[in-house]
Amino acid sequence: MSAQQTERLVRMANQIALNFGEERDLTLAARRTGEHLQKFWTPAMREQLADYAAAGGEGLSPAVRELYSRS
Amino acid sequence: MLHYYEPQKDFGTPAAQSAEQVSLTVDGVTLEVPAGTSVMRAAALVGVKVPKLCATDALQPFGSCRVCLVEIAGRRGFPASCTTPVEEGMQVQTQTPALAKLRRGVMELYISDHPLDCLTCATNGDCELQDTAGEVGLRNVRYGFDGANHLAASKDSSNPYFTFDPAKCIVCSRCVRACEETQGTFALTIEGRGFDSVVSAGGVDFIDSECVSCGACVDACPTATLTENSIIEQGIPEHTVTTTCAYCGVGCGFRAELRGNTVVRMTPWKDGKANEGHACVKGRFAFGYATHPDRVTTPMIRDSTDQPWRQVDWDEAVSFAAARFRQIQEQHGRNSIGAISSSRCTNEEVYLVQKLVRAGFGNNNIDTCARVCHSPTGYGLKTTLGESAGTQTFASVEQADVIIVMGANPTEAHPVFGSRLKKRLRQGARLIVIDPRKIELVDAPHIQADYHLPVNPGANVAVLNAMAHVIVSENLHDEAFIAQRCEASAFEDWRAFISDVSNSPEALAAASGVDAAELRAAARLYATAATGAIYYGLGVTEHSQGSTAVMAIANLAMLTGNLGREGVGVNPLRGQNNVQGACDMGSFPHELPGYRHLSDVTTRADFEQAWQVELDPEPGLRIPNMFDAAVDGDFRGLYIQGEDVAQSDPNTQHVEAALAALDCLVVQDIFLNETAKFAHVFLPGASFLEKDGTFTNAERRISRVRKVMPPMSGKADWEATQAFAQALGCSMDYAHPSQIMDEIASLTPTFSGVSYALLDEQGSVQWPCNDSAATGTSTMHVDSFVRGEGYFALTEYVPTEERANRRFPLLLTTGRILSQYNVGAQTRRTDNSTWHAEDVLEIHAHDAQERGLKDGDWAGIQSRVGSTVLRTRISDRVKPGVVYTTFHHPVSGANVVTTDNSDWATNCPEYKVTAVQASKVTEPSAWQSRQREFDHRQRQFLQQATVND
Ligand code: SF4
Ligand code: SF4
Ligand code: SF4
Ligand code: FES
Repeated sequence: MSAQQTERLVRMANQIALNFGEERDLTLAARRTGEHLQKFWTPAMREQLADYAAAGGEGLSPAVRELYSRS
Repeated sequence: MLHYYEPQKDFGTPAAQSAEQVSLTVDGVTLEVPAGTSVMRAAALVGVKVPKLCATDALQPFGSCRVCLVEIAGRRGFPASCTTPVEEGMQVQTQTPALAKLRRGVMELYISDHPLDCLTCATNGDCELQDTAGEVGLRNVRYGFDGANHLAASKDSSNPYFTFDPAKCIVCSRCVRACEETQGTFALTIEGRGFDSVVSAGGVDFIDSECVSCGACVDACPTATLTENSIIEQGIPEHTVTTTCAYCGVGCGFRAELRGNTVVRMTPWKDGKANEGHACVKGRFAFGYATHPDRVTTPMIRDSTDQPWRQVDWDEAVSFAAARFRQIQEQHGRNSIGAISSSRCTNEEVYLVQKLVRAGFGNNNIDTCARVCHSPTGYGLKTTLGESAGTQTFASVEQADVIIVMGANPTEAHPVFGSRLKKRLRQGARLIVIDPRKIELVDAPHIQADYHLPVNPGANVAVLNAMAHVIVSENLHDEAFIAQRCEASAFEDWRAFISDVSNSPEALAAASGVDAAELRAAARLYATAATGAIYYGLGVTEHSQGSTAVMAIANLAMLTGNLGREGVGVNPLRGQNNVQGACDMGSFPHELPGYRHLSDVTTRADFEQAWQVELDPEPGLRIPNMFDAAVDGDFRGLYIQGEDVAQSDPNTQHVEAALAALDCLVVQDIFLNETAKFAHVFLPGASFLEKDGTFTNAERRISRVRKVMPPMSGKADWEATQAFAQALGCSMDYAHPSQIMDEIASLTPTFSGVSYALLDEQGSVQWPCNDSAATGTSTMHVDSFVRGEGYFALTEYVPTEERANRRFPLLLTTGRILSQYNVGAQTRRTDNSTWHAEDVLEIHAHDAQERGLKDGDWAGIQSRVGSTVLRTRISDRVKPGVVYTTFHHPVSGANVVTTDNSDWATNCPEYKVTAVQASKVTEPSAWQSRQREFDHRQRQFLQQATVND
């Protein structure tokens, strides 16, 4: 998958975390974001985001980072 | 369900609603009817037809024609039966010598001013005046035609669908009343008095009047004065088939009236529960596209899109497609292909496409066009209430005291529901409109919204949160309802969140653009209503926070106890005819029919057993993911059933790049639509007139679609999908759509009671329909929520990233217009284009002036993703800073400028907010020029295919 595709995934994941209230409760937002991705994203998309997070995850929002730091 | 033609039964006056029964006798027959019933209706109920002209059961009685006189024992004179209510013990005579004489006298007067050209009249044999003359035994007219009369009055044929021939008018006012009572447009009046009275469309021709061409007046007219042009041209029908409109989510029931295989008229079905005999210009008149010469009726294939099409038979077309799809999977993996199903197709057809994907392709790459409209409704209502559907019937609005209309424009987009709503508003219900645009309802004849909150595009959640804040902080919420019905801890969390001062109308006013005091007053009005109902549309869902807004709406309804009974509820107004059904049928990549997630082991096992395959438990690609993956080369084969993504989806240039990157695109449609121009296989589709099936409307109402003519391509859409599946080696062998419905019912708990037999018997059924609701469910969540306890979701307001800035200072929002439907493929091929020949840019005078734009000028509209050119229309419906357009014409390229920003939860595109700049230009945009050229070439390829054969 391309860099452009990764960038889209990052944007979408950040948007999800923000809407789950990451500014209010980071841990909860991280958990909900994880559940959401599990429920609605394809395994390939999840994998790509996880790989990106593992490789430094530049631009990922705090809750998304938190999600991958836990797992 | 084919019937010989006869007019629909008319009981003369509307049914009375009273629970109290009154007993009377009519011509010696005793009967009981609800108090308030007219004598005329009571007589009709025992099969006695009292002659009548000015009465019809769609309208309140008027009492002007005096042919319906009866005798009542103990009463003097001859009361009009249409305006006389029944009384206990009443004894009515409808046929006496005295009555006969009186009626003949009245008829004689009417006929003396009526042309006697019955034999050559368009409605000969289908005319109430003619019937009534027969019923009263009129044999001669003593007055002759020498006196003053209206026989020379000239016709008005300005409307493309009907003709007004005043020479035949008996001034019964049925048309005027239909326009007022049924349609709510008030376009017609009776001008003049006595002999000089005439029907007038406000002193101008129909086409220049306020008339919206709904046809209610034509239906109501008892003579040939107002007649459909199709009847004038082709004669009266000889048989009828009851079916369902294929345009919008209201799902009106229709009688298709035919001569042989030709539809000569679509008449709204009086027993259709969604519409009760009313219709709009699209459903009633715009059916000509079905037999338009542009229909492509032969399958076609080609190796690449720069080649002409080759016409082939069905076998070759599906084998070609299947071979390519299998080859793609061999080379690029199981997940490299997928499908998009259509909200315009039947439930059965949509079900088959998702079955083909899951069982035949072996993945879950199935999505539907609801992705781009109501996917947030599915997510939001499932999360809060537990079911992805509206909570009421349309009729419920008749009990609503306060109505919120948010991000919807019912009089244009859901016209028949719009008329019902207007009727309730004229009766005194209060109205709150939340919309960036001043929609018609804000200020319509005899209707004035109590509050119009002109929210900035993108700030819906701010407004909804502020309303909830007011209700909670002023203690206007329904404690008892919440305590009894909702999850306590979630409510407490939510209450703390919403009470925060950051959610107050004052704090949010700058973001929302709504005056805090107005918003407070509106919130109080809704909260204190005995019955408060919320209706919303795509102006709520098509935002980066579409799902959040839907949840905020559900929160408001729970907060005020406005759920689970008549007159209240959360009511999504669905765009396309079968959006609800397409969603119900498992068209989303993460769930099976009945909104059950793929991870649900039991459900998956049921389907695995029924289909004899193993199912992939992981979600597949959504439409935007498919496009992204296609551009990246990971996704290479796509089967699209009846959708025109190249025109309807946002960021056209990205969509076009994705389509162009596919190794094999299979398009199934009735026309060579924009998307088909990128296709390798074209499977000709069938219009709704050519197939059997069901549609499910916005009220969860499942209605039958019935075949009225054979499919022009030889196959209905379900048969085409089945042939494709078979070519792929996926077992499907249905002989009739009823068998598909039986399979759906056997696998879906909310549909388990549904069968074609039940639908034929009931007319239509609202799901859930199962053991605990044998004939369906009109109101949802009555004693408890489907979810168990209602869930107050936290609805953080997150401003969209799409913001006006120096470069793009205006916010573009998009919408629909009455006469056109969606991408316009159907309506543009009818006379509906009379009203909307092109999409225009609505702009406030202030913004226009700043840019030197005048009415009618070409305006270039540029966003960060693309630009297009539209004509300018100066309008006070939009406020400064906001511009508006529709997307009914491909060449407009409205979606060239919309971005791929989308709802956080569902990826529903943010059509309603695009930051743009507008400027005066003199020529079409580069995309438009390219589009013209491409379109021209593809049309040539189609013509060459036709010639080659
Ligand atoms: S146009 Fe038809 S409905 Fe209207 S007043 Fe004349 S006869 Fe009656
Ligand atoms: S067609 Fe509809 S809107 Fe037009 S005059 Fe008749 S009733 Fe009124
Ligand atoms: S309101 Fe909708 S369903 Fe009814 S006739 Fe019009 S388009 Fe068809
Ligand atoms: S039908 Fe009763 S007065 Fe006309």
